[in-house]
Amino acid sequence: MRALRAVTALTFAVLVLSAPVSAQEGHPVKGSWLGTWGLSADHLNDVIVIMDWDGEKISGIINPGTDNIEIENATLNPDGWVLRFEATGESPSGEELNYVVEGVLENLAFHDRTFTGSWTHESAEGPFEIQRQ
Amino acid sequence: MKFRAIVLPVLLFGGLLSTTTPGAAHHSILGKFDDAQAMTLEGIVTMIDWRNPHVHIFMNVAEGPGFQNWAVEIESPGVLRGTGWSRESLRAGDAITVEGMAARNGSRQVWGSSIAMTETGRLVMDVAPMRPPDPLAPRPTPRWPDGQPRLGPLPGGVDGYWAYPSANSLVQTGANVEMDEFGMLENINDSDRVAPLQPWALELYEYRQSRQLRDDPTFLNCKPPAGPRQYHQPEGFQLIEDRVRERVFVLVGSGNRNFHIMFLDGRDPVGQVGGDDDNPLYYGRSVGQWEGDTLVVETSSFNEDFWFANGGLPHTDALTLTERFTRPDFDTLRYEVTIDDPGAYTRPWTSSWTLRWVAGQELPMHFCQENRP
Repeated sequence: MRALRAVTALTFAVLVLSAPVSAQEGHPVKGSWLGTWGLSADHLNDVIVIMDWDGEKISGIINPGTDNIEIENATLNPDGWVLRFEATGESPSGEELNYVVEGVLENLAFHDRTFTGSWTHESAEGPFEIQRQ
Repeated sequence: MKFRAIVLPVLLFGGLLSTTTPGAAHHSILGKFDDAQAMTLEGIVTMIDWRNPHVHIFMNVAEGPGFQNWAVEIESPGVLRGTGWSRESLRAGDAITVEGMAARNGSRQVWGSSIAMTETGRLVMDVAPMRPPDPLAPRPTPRWPDGQPRLGPLPGGVDGYWAYPSANSLVQTGANVEMDEFGMLENINDSDRVAPLQPWALELYEYRQSRQLRDDPTFLNCKPPAGPRQYHQPEGFQLIEDRVRERVFVLVGSGNRNFHIMFLDGRDPVGQVGGDDDNPLYYGRSVGQWEGDTLVVETSSFNEDFWFANGGLPHTDALTLTERFTRPDFDTLRYEVTIDDPGAYTRPWTSSWTLRWVAGQELPMHFCQENRP
């Protein structure tokens, strides 16, 4: 099962990363983002985030595939371009895990703009950095 | 569901991670040159590169014990011809004095606003705003035999095109906002009066303005000046009516010989399977019909890869345009557009301007991708 997930994720990554680069001059969060999150700079995991904008709210999914989860309560404060969203995951023991991700969009003028911030879960936290593909 | 980190051997795909960064970019004038840094150069012409989008004059300028070669960037061949300049106006070896503004990056480049022969002071180039020729006398709207207004020349008439828009960028009707020819606001505090922008779109608009529009994909990457922007371009456009096939071709004088079609045959604005499918397009999909003397066109299915207005107003792929073309007399085209984009604006809004008929001339040739730095 784990191998299947990895293959699915790999396939998606290839599709995302090999797609033609698009300028995307619309809403700044819209698009496919790739980056890392983890406990510290020495313990990072890859993450893919797909975000969209329907004119009223930001929606999205994290790590599309069999274990993807939806972004919840996403907001973008244009004053400083602060993006915040929540995500509810599950621990190996089935416990619900609530994450909050918050950071700042940078290099808005470029298609490969970045989002640099952090994630928090109860007392744990770490870096969360993604770049639009 | 589990928020687990997927284990991606991303390093194996390092080649795929690399993305294309715009290389040496052809910025809009104020993006590349600083209007606060006036500069005067005296020297000898070494070469003239007469190509779109901008002509370059290279000149040797005395510096220290020797010379340095400078690049003087000036207007497009079309604009220069319109102001009386020709490629013969200057020759290699001429001694000239250039007035202009310096490059922001400190390189030996200058935007030339005027060029004079150093010895005599005779002005050989002074770019003044182009003016349309005054019509000899008011002329009635040309019409087809069935009475429908014609959008082009008279039958058998020589070519002509529409240009000289009365406004330079989109501004909602009723708002008195001053902008320059590129859509730069005279006062950034007017930004929220330009259009009913959503907060993110207002901030993005101001961000683009604060960077002197240097991120404009039309200038950076020759992306089409689509949407209403095509009717604001100094190179103008032609409307070619094909009444047999019930369509109007819009030939845009700027960009890279862009064109699109407004279908009047009653079809739906959807993609052609096996053709463009349903992909969003720069110029969208346009369908229309005549309502009295007005051609009403609805366009949707835009992509988000371009700026649809001079000055950097944002749009999303939810954009729908309702455009109205009327020709109240021979030499005037009135264009009105209603912008309905719930992705970027709080409500539909309208803007309008007029254009002048340029009789007896072909559409200027302007290829963005020539002579790119």
